[in-house]
Amino acid sequence: MSGGLSGGASGAAAAGEVVLSARDVHRDYQLAGETVHAVRGISLEVRAGDWVALVGPSGCGKSTLLNLLGAIDRPTSGTIAVRGRDIAALRDRDATAFRLRHVGFVFQRFYLMPQLSALENIELPMAEAGVARAERRARARELLAYVGLDARERHRPAELSGGEQQRAAIARALANRPAFLLADEPTGELDAATGAGIIALFARLNAAGTTIVVVTHDGDLARAARRVIHLRDGHVVNEVHA
Amino acid sequence: MIGVLAAASLLRHRARTALAVAGVAVSAAMVLDMVMLSTGMRESFRSLLERGGFQVRVGPRGAMPFDGEATVGGGAGLLDTLRAIRGITMVAPVLGATLHAPQPGGAVAAFALGVIAGSQGDYVLQEGHEAVADGEVVLNDPMLAAVRRRVGDTLTLATGYDPQLRTFSGGRTLRIAGRVRFRYLAADQRGAALPLATLQAMGGDARRDRLSLVMLRVDPAADVEAIRAGIDAALPRVSALSTATALQQAEQRLSYFRQLAFILGSISLVVGFLLVTTIVTVSVHERVGEIAVMRAIGVSRRHVVQQVVLEGLVLSLAGSAGGLALGLVTARWLDSILATFPGLPESVDFFLFQSIPALAALGMLVLTGLAAGAIPAWRAATLPVAATLRREAVA
Amino acid sequence: MPRSPIRSLSFRARSVALPALSHALLAVLPARAQVAPPAAPPPARHATIALDARLATDAGIRLGDLVVVAAAPGIPGDTLRVAAFVRRGADPSEVARAEYRVRMHLADLQRVLGYGDRVDRFAIATRDSAATTRAIAGINAAAFGFRAHRSRDIAIETSRTFAVISRFHKAIGVITIGASAIFLLCIMLMKVEERRRDVAALRLVGLSAASVVRAVVIEAALVSVIGSGAGVVLGAVASRLVNAWYQQLYRTPLTFSLVTPGIVGFAVALSVVLGLAAGVLAARRLVRTPPLALLGR
Ligand SMILES: Nc1ncnc2c1ncn2[C@@H]1O[C@H](COP(=O)(O)OP(=O)(O)OP(=O)(O)O)[C@@H](O)[C@H]1O
Ligand SMILES: [Mg+2]
Repeated sequence: MSGGLSGGASGAAAAGEVVLSARDVHRDYQLAGETVHAVRGISLEVRAGDWVALVGPSGCGKSTLLNLLGAIDRPTSGTIAVRGRDIAALRDRDATAFRLRHVGFVFQRFYLMPQLSALENIELPMAEAGVARAERRARARELLAYVGLDARERHRPAELSGGEQQRAAIARALANRPAFLLADEPTGELDAATGAGIIALFARLNAAGTTIVVVTHDGDLARAARRVIHLRDGHVVNEVHA
Repeated sequence: MIGVLAAASLLRHRARTALAVAGVAVSAAMVLDMVMLSTGMRESFRSLLERGGFQVRVGPRGAMPFDGEATVGGGAGLLDTLRAIRGITMVAPVLGATLHAPQPGGAVAAFALGVIAGSQGDYVLQEGHEAVADGEVVLNDPMLAAVRRRVGDTLTLATGYDPQLRTFSGGRTLRIAGRVRFRYLAADQRGAALPLATLQAMGGDARRDRLSLVMLRVDPAADVEAIRAGIDAALPRVSALSTATALQQAEQRLSYFRQLAFILGSISLVVGFLLVTTIVTVSVHERVGEIAVMRAIGVSRRHVVQQVVLEGLVLSLAGSAGGLALGLVTARWLDSILATFPGLPESVDFFLFQSIPALAALGMLVLTGLAAGAIPAWRAATLPVAATLRREAVA
Repeated sequence: MPRSPIRSLSFRARSVALPALSHALLAVLPARAQVAPPAAPPPARHATIALDARLATDAGIRLGDLVVVAAAPGIPGDTLRVAAFVRRGADPSEVARAEYRVRMHLADLQRVLGYGDRVDRFAIATRDSAATTRAIAGINAAAFGFRAHRSRDIAIETSRTFAVISRFHKAIGVITIGASAIFLLCIMLMKVEERRRDVAALRLVGLSAASVVRAVVIEAALVSVIGSGAGVVLGAVASRLVNAWYQQLYRTPLTFSLVTPGIVGFAVALSVVLGLAAGVLAARRLVRTPPLALLGR
């Protein structure tokens, strides 16, 4: 089961290969005549099989950086490459396709589609990618079982606990076998015990070869990562390897 | 999946969706009714005018046929001339007059037509036989009732009546040969038809050899308009009117309804558009977060647009389906109101269901629904993903 | 066509009744104004005629022009001087008619038609309603061939067409009101639903259900009052447009669409009542839902 969960067809990467690299990335926001420098010249590399935690005080630019890495947002300057392909300047259509096939997003507030069941939520990205119904259903079931929600496939998000919703969201992020997972404070809405379950899930995924970049204030989550990158005021201040 | 999401979004607010569908249905019903009204009168009059199979009407020039007892003399000669024209397959002369039947309380007046049985297109026989022989007459139900006669009885009819002196002139006792229904008379209008020669003779010198109208049946292969124009040019005493022209003039009389239909139909379309736009806009507005998430996990703009447009489309399709049923019911109701128009031929319908115009009308409404989804769909597709997600996280 | 000061008009007496419908339908041919030389050198003083203002416009006739009036086309008639133009009355039964109307002195018309000393009807003025009843009874009792009718009864009879149209309009009005009621209810429901989060917040802060309902209903009422105000303005403008359109189309001073205080009152009342109903309905549903559920947790 392990190898098939991520790094599938699109994500086949030899361990240690650089999958994600940012070079001198800046992101400014224009606010009523004033420029906010949210990210000011960050460079980093993420290798296949890595698990990177981005930590730092509130407002230091973690979420902004994560959005840039996931092609949800575009840098003001600098380059971001995924396996050598520049994603900083993609047109909207290409960026969308890129997110669909290469990036798995996990949000602090889960953001499942409230009107779809857990199973359908996981099917959604696969349906978008054109995976045949039977195939995507089978894979969605497999993923649900992997995150421990096999008994919940018919449930709507409102009928799941926070921890269960986050598991479903992680399963959704894995659906199209992305090159890496990007998670923004995935345990931020959960109590410590439930958070620990999510951390264990990430650990299991990473052990199976999934590349993970996670933004967090949660010390336990940061400690579980292999690398911890400290940010302040839009800069990298230091990096710690586990 | 897109369908599931669109359906889910509609089902999330059932009351709202039901109201919107009901609103669109009423708009659709109105659009349909107005289309039925504007095309219905035209078609109804056309079929009325064409039912006898006569495509050209010839009457005294400069006069309005039967309005005032305008007639043209030299009837026999005129008929010969018309019969000689190539392409004319039947010539049906008509003389119109008011006849009076002396009755105990005074006189009963009826509109009378002198026709040649077998070549007339003015009435349909319902009982007995046509007035073929001299001295025979056929009456419609209102007239039979007014003079309390039945088929087979006799009745004295006079061409002249002086109300001051209560004297009748040009009277003659006729045998009632049949019961008929006149195409162009209102349901309650009294009518009689008798052989042309009999009526001409009853009028004395004033009517001898005179005609009010000649109806012409034209060979289907011939050019009706050319024949009409030819008659108009060649015969100075008469003018020829084609069904199309007659129709145009009838339409002018009823133009008010067409205008009204156009105005109300347009307003209904606009209302349907506004309703769908409002609903879909609000629905998009409520779901910006969800849409941003979908975009973030890689759902394309095209699919977001499709989903939103689909929502508007479903609303307008469901509304149109309901509107079709509602429209037919209300059309019948409105028609029953207009049918009480005094002097209107029974067989005229104001509202006529014709599948092509009706479908065109509903199609227009569905297109409107599609267009109504366009603005909110565009808004949904161009949502700034990162900023919206951030706003949602803050909210 | 060279302009001639003398026109020939032809028309027939209006007394002839019972037009068959096919022919009534065709009877919309406008009377044609034909140019014809006067039959005889005009006498020094001509009798006068008043023409339909539309006819004057269409045929380019001016006051003082001479026209020849005959009972039928092609026969000799009398030459009359155009002394006045008559604007069309606001009579709904004539609206869609293209025929022109002219007015002549009685004696002139009788001569032109060869009508002798005959008239179609007399109009009789009476002092009061009782006198009218007496006069009608007296005339009808004398029974020398006349029948007297009360003008009102005749008016009712002749306005039957109009009554039908009026009923038709009412029916359409009912449908329209149905549609707008649905539309209104729908909008108001959404307007209140929008307040979901605010209601949740207010409830969490500790406001009572009653005050939340009150706040929502007051807002709904305000929105519907403002909306109906805008609607009245819009309706007045639309009514003007409709009138302008039909009046130029039919060349009549008839008012087609009239915004009366009663209608305004009805429209405002309807929208406020529906607004309030929607407000109450939606607000009650909102306060019955637990506040946290409203926030989507
Ligand atoms: N769309 C935006 N417009 C203007 N300023 C923004 C925008 N997004 C982020 N910022 C600013 O950029 C800076 C970095 O924001 P960011 O959300 O990346 O911080 P963060 O590290 O994720 O904080 P937190 O830990 O609180 O989530 C902040 O000062 C923020 O105000
Ligand atoms: Mg953040």
